[in-house]
Amino acid sequence: MSDEAVTNFCPKGDVLVIAEVAAGELQPVTLELLGAGRILSDKMERSLLCLVLGHNLGDIPQKLIEYGADVVYVADHPELYQYRTLTYRRAVCDFLESLPEPPHTTLLGSTTTGRDLAPRIAAHFDTGLTADCTELDIGPYEHKSKVDPSKVGLYPNCLYAIRPSFGESLKARILGPWKNPQMATARPGVMIPLKLDPNRVGKIVNVPVNLQPEDYRLVVADTVREISKGFKLTEADVIIAGGFGLGSADGFELLKKLADCFPNSAIGASRKVVDLGWIPYQHQVGQTGKTVRPKLYIACGISGAIQHRVGMSKSGMIIAINKDPDAPIFKFANYGIVGDVYQIIPEMIKEFGAVIKKEEGEPVGRAR
Amino acid sequence: MLATGSYNIFVLVKQVPDQGSKAGINPDGTIDRAKAKRMLNPFDRYALQAALFTKRTYGGTVTAISMGPPPATEVLLEALEHGVDLGYLLCDRRLAASDTLATAYALYKTILYVGKPDVIFCGLQTTDGDTAQVGPQLAERLNLPQITYCEDFAIVNGKVEAQRIIEGGTQKVVTDLPVLVTVANSYHALEYKSFRGAWRVQQLKRNPEEMSKYIRTVDLDVIGADAERCGLKGSPTIVAATEKVGEIGGNCCMFEGNSPEVLISDLLAAANVKEYIAALEAK
Repeated sequence: MSDEAVTNFCPKGDVLVIAEVAAGELQPVTLELLGAGRILSDKMERSLLCLVLGHNLGDIPQKLIEYGADVVYVADHPELYQYRTLTYRRAVCDFLESLPEPPHTTLLGSTTTGRDLAPRIAAHFDTGLTADCTELDIGPYEHKSKVDPSKVGLYPNCLYAIRPSFGESLKARILGPWKNPQMATARPGVMIPLKLDPNRVGKIVNVPVNLQPEDYRLVVADTVREISKGFKLTEADVIIAGGFGLGSADGFELLKKLADCFPNSAIGASRKVVDLGWIPYQHQVGQTGKTVRPKLYIACGISGAIQHRVGMSKSGMIIAINKDPDAPIFKFANYGIVGDVYQIIPEMIKEFGAVIKKEEGEPVGRAR
Repeated sequence: MLATGSYNIFVLVKQVPDQGSKAGINPDGTIDRAKAKRMLNPFDRYALQAALFTKRTYGGTVTAISMGPPPATEVLLEALEHGVDLGYLLCDRRLAASDTLATAYALYKTILYVGKPDVIFCGLQTTDGDTAQVGPQLAERLNLPQITYCEDFAIVNGKVEAQRIIEGGTQKVVTDLPVLVTVANSYHALEYKSFRGAWRVQQLKRNPEEMSKYIRTVDLDVIGADAERCGLKGSPTIVAATEKVGEIGGNCCMFEGNSPEVLISDLLAAANVKEYIAALEAK
């Protein structure tokens, strides 16, 4: 990289959102990314692009325009109906290479799909990727470190990819202005989608898809979605979450009883207890689990580390139960009870259970 | 058919700071990695179990590979105690401050140096980075198919049959070897250390010469990696700034020092919890 290139580097550019469609349905995280992407592209006075992959996408491309995209690129191919790493990787890489200039920023959802695909794209283009962002912005940056003289310089339009940092009550701002696209994944449920505007105009462009034999090396034999069994953790109105303070896996039996007091309730968990195997990963709330926004969140024996907090702090009402009066969770809960969960929860079940008169015969759903 | 092939199984492990320990946590919230307690990345325990299960069931050898400063030898020894055959530590000052892309490059070169794997197991992610990026980035470099979020793995008639987690469900996939697998924490827990493995490590600790045969330390020159693509220089991203997360609220209404009955009735008196819940119900 020559010195001259550095002073002019990190040019403005378009913002690209890679849409996520599962089982023919557009995933909410895509609309959230369009909301965030719109702000970034407006700041640079550039376009917001969206690439959607799939087959027979119907009105999805139009919907992407109504939610903020200026140009929607459609990669339609029967083999793209279902997500597979290598077929999607091929289509996305080919598309990016076909653009006259790389996008400034490329965003994906940090779902199991986005986290599977984004690193492959980033590695293919040797570009930077920040995982699980909770905030995105565009701003200037001056690189002063002389470790690599070719990087020194002032960069006026960097993607600020902001995420909580490990074991610390800190947020880290991660930048990579030396190469476009600057890539990031963002957690579902964090960014705010725009209001649907049916009058918004945009362009829909079909792009060619040329899959290679080696892209079919992995075959999906069967997909089971558990949506029919109830609803997802992210859609529950009430979440009863347990942490290390429960003492053992058995504590979740008690939490389930409390959850049964509420309609549309679900069981959440902190990362530590998931790591310990007390409850499956699907229940994990936080930085590496789900981001949830229930109306009521009852945290039982959860200390409230930053990684957990980023996943649930936007809940309507947070009630925390913890033995330790200095637990960080009391710094952001609305109501805190200092005490033993095994004494408090049975009392809650008594009181709350009485409030909620469940209609006879109506099953109480719970995400398991 | 239970093919007893001689599979060349690689497992990637990382030493991370122990998040359960307060040691090494600076007052400003940052971590002093030199002082922090060290441990094997918890997710790697599942990868290790998958590797050892594969060896035991289908035959082969397990090679553990790690990248880190000299103390990272500890996690390789731990892997040996569990029954891993051989360990490689990529250790080089020029790797300091590598981001995921630079790390994946360095591991890619290490794997090319060590041999031709049939399957590479990685933990889903590490507890210090939380990115889950290195596995797929490595698969891209090696041009391999990948199975991320894997919670079940078998080799049937020479083909891999696996189950992985997807949003709101699971997926069964079939692929040929070689493949890179990142193992989720819903996979089987790591079994206890084997007596033989533990005994062997005890023997090795008494014999440094023998130890260097089983824990091989290599640097960038040995594996033929381009130092320009490693460490700070080879990393397209940097941590530009950290900021303390502002305390939200700070107006938590606390209830303490009473019997559970009183605490709950106080809560109900102070908050409109009951109405709040009733409103939920009415919805």
